[in-house]
Amino acid sequence: MDDNRIDRRRFVAGALATGAAAALPSSAQARAKHHAKAKKPTKRIRKRTADVVVVGAGFAGLTAARRVMQAGRSVIVLEARDRVGGRALNHDLGGGQVSETGATFVGPTQDRMLALIQEMGASTFPTFDDGQNVYVAQGQRQTYSDTGPTGTAPPDPLVLPELTEVVAQLDQMSTTVPVDAPWQASSAGDWDGQTLETWIKANSTSQRFQALVPMATRPIFGAEPRELSLLFVLFYIAASGDEKNPGTFERNFDTRAGAQQDRIVGGSQIVALKMAQDLGRRVVLASPVRRIAQGAGRVRVDSDRYTVHAKHAIVAIPPTLAGRIDYSPILPAERDQLMQRLGQGSLTKVAAVYPTPFWREQGLNGTAVSTDGLVSATFDDSPPSGKPGVLFGFVGGDSARAYNAMSPSDGRDAVLGEFATLFGDQAKSPTAYFDTRWTGEQWTRGCPVAIAGPGTLLAYGPWIRRPIDRIHWAGTETSTYWNGYMDGAVRSGERAAQEVLDAL
Amino acid sequence: MRRALAAAAALAALAALAPAASAAGQRPRWDTRVLALVPPPGFPARAYVAPNGRIYEGTYENPAGDSVPSRVLEYSGDGTLLRSWTVEGQDLSQGHGVQVATSDALGRLVLLDKAPARAILLDTRTGAQSTYATFADIPDLLGNTPEPDYGVWGPDGSLYVSDYQQGVIWRVPPGGGAAQVWLDDPLLKGGMFGTAGLVLEPDLRTLLIAQGSESGGTGGGDPTTGRLLRAQIQPDGKPGPVTQLWESRPADAPDGIALARSGRVYVALVGPTNQIAVLNPDGSEAERFPQTPFTGDNGSSVPFDSVSSVMFLGTRLIVAQQSYELGDAAHQAILDVEAGEEGVPEYIPPNAGLRPGEQVVKAARAKSRKRAKAKHRRHHRRHHARRHRHR
Repeated sequence: MDDNRIDRRRFVAGALATGAAAALPSSAQARAKHHAKAKKPTKRIRKRTADVVVVGAGFAGLTAARRVMQAGRSVIVLEARDRVGGRALNHDLGGGQVSETGATFVGPTQDRMLALIQEMGASTFPTFDDGQNVYVAQGQRQTYSDTGPTGTAPPDPLVLPELTEVVAQLDQMSTTVPVDAPWQASSAGDWDGQTLETWIKANSTSQRFQALVPMATRPIFGAEPRELSLLFVLFYIAASGDEKNPGTFERNFDTRAGAQQDRIVGGSQIVALKMAQDLGRRVVLASPVRRIAQGAGRVRVDSDRYTVHAKHAIVAIPPTLAGRIDYSPILPAERDQLMQRLGQGSLTKVAAVYPTPFWREQGLNGTAVSTDGLVSATFDDSPPSGKPGVLFGFVGGDSARAYNAMSPSDGRDAVLGEFATLFGDQAKSPTAYFDTRWTGEQWTRGCPVAIAGPGTLLAYGPWIRRPIDRIHWAGTETSTYWNGYMDGAVRSGERAAQEVLDAL
Repeated sequence: MRRALAAAAALAALAALAPAASAAGQRPRWDTRVLALVPPPGFPARAYVAPNGRIYEGTYENPAGDSVPSRVLEYSGDGTLLRSWTVEGQDLSQGHGVQVATSDALGRLVLLDKAPARAILLDTRTGAQSTYATFADIPDLLGNTPEPDYGVWGPDGSLYVSDYQQGVIWRVPPGGGAAQVWLDDPLLKGGMFGTAGLVLEPDLRTLLIAQGSESGGTGGGDPTTGRLLRAQIQPDGKPGPVTQLWESRPADAPDGIALARSGRVYVALVGPTNQIAVLNPDGSEAERFPQTPFTGDNGSSVPFDSVSSVMFLGTRLIVAQQSYELGDAAHQAILDVEAGEEGVPEYIPPNAGLRPGEQVVKAARAKSRKRAKAKHRRHHRRHHARRHRHR
């Protein structure tokens, strides 16, 4: 709870510092502040009506709401937090600079997010990628260029043959997985009956290679290979593209020509803030939705501050949160089972701030992969100006669980020690250090995405987007392409809005 | 000399008919782009452009066989995948696939299914599917089975459906049910390459039919060439005599057809020539794209490979291709080909697809909605009055 309050203050401070506060709907912000300061939550529940009510003001919900608004229909967005952006959250660095504690990157084929960035008058800049990557395995450190055939993946000669073969095999298998219905892949039964770990062990012999695999799954899924259905992983690869470009593991994992290629000037949350500004009073903050009732051709959504009567509802939050809402009548068992099974990944983002990105002077680009320790991957997260220098690391899966069990100071020391192994002793002396433990966030419960273990997609996958009468589902987890990414969220919002507009 | 003059005059006339040179910023005619690669099970055969501007694509038969049901994918006009639906009740032990033939008065999609041979109404709002029509197996010596391929609405709400294997045109009565053979003519007996594309001409009584080949016919025609044929729906509902508008070149296998407002006819050639043929209103061939047959080189990253259907979306031709022979998933795509001219809008009669009583239901729904709105307004008035009193 304390963490939440700190985050809230940090956010407001950051927003003020960066001018982002101006982007928030002033009335909504004022209401949110008032609500946050109130000693007791107000008992007065006000009523509103609209054509469409949207639950959640992340990219999916905001996108859906804007599309509904643009079509001339009335819409209200109910957001549990006192901010918008969902898993996209800026962190104020001072001096008008920000870092992202959540969603950060955009890349090629993420067409919908790129279009939205343009539409909202924001812009992108390249992730710093000049110089060598760092790779640490079993105490040995080496540097390499990501312009080679393995891209961001390390060209470790001891694992290279298996790495190349396994990635090629996974890419090939993913081409048979339909992004809109992975449960209908011809081998879906076989692949959803095993984990990625099972498959890797059956298709590789090198323990060094097998130890490298979690370095990919932790940042990508916030999970260990044993937690992931092979079918789900193949779907995720297939989804790492668009309608014109089949997905590949490389496009997902790489920085150069991959999903980490670019960043958003002003931080990714700036886009959500601009969208909220566009929606104005239609966005209601600090108003968690508790109940959704359908009947008599309408839907009633009860939240802490408003009861909204609408013709349709779009639920644009992670499945595990959607499952915590009380529905009347009760949802079909299959939909409910799906929400019970799609838990969020375990991912903590750690970041250290330095006066300058000192690693660049050493010819390093800040990107690293390490099998040793808590941090499996790092990136240079410095602002476009390069000042201050920011390094962030992904701590996912078992490492996130271990890190979260540590005291804050122990965790900080451990991470900075690993940063020092990767980039030198200078990394031990940051001017600031912060982490975001997404699993502890009440209104997210984990990052970066909901993950499916064996059996889930085959049994319940068809319910992921299926509307339940007047309730429609959005959120990056419902996306066909770039599931788990900002682009997927935007796509899902556009699709859900279209569904609703068709029905109105 | 007279022949030369006539040819020159014809060329001049053709030039006058040809679409205006593209203005600045517009795409040049025949500019081809990939709209979307169709995900597995692939083999897209017919891209249907609905009146709402969205594109619906059914996955068709995989000649190598598969055991997954067909799906219908919904794309926006710019090629963004929106939704998809799995076809229910298919016989997966048989070669199976669906083509989205048209949509009905309520916006439901009409799917033509191969196994079993039926027409399905798919409500995209609810995902509900229901059988609208069935197509019988007509006993013949070749053992061909029904394969409903393309469908168009007649002015009275009848659905006319071509049968690729059995070489007939079916008529489904308004409201659906068992289809009856409407047109059975020797010119439709194509053997392997049968009766395919079907459109209703702007006079709303002439059906234009694409015939893949005439190998089983009795007209003594070249079995390697296909035809565009015409048959009129006569006032008594029966077909008039079949006439020929155009004969294709060998190995063309004409498939889908699209009508331009100019009167020109665009024909997808699913055969190895891999082209789109453009015909003048009089049936003479005006143009082909690409000019060179067999290469499929259209300038995009996906060459023509079994060009199955063409349909207008604005000035663009939306083209589906199966890569039927090669089975190359990278070629199973919906392509966007700039035509530089607009198509004739599809005719969907007001009772299209409506079963007896469905209009009544629709009217009842409208009445119920009206009542609910009135109730809502009353509620609001009371609510505002209360608020006013409190102040």
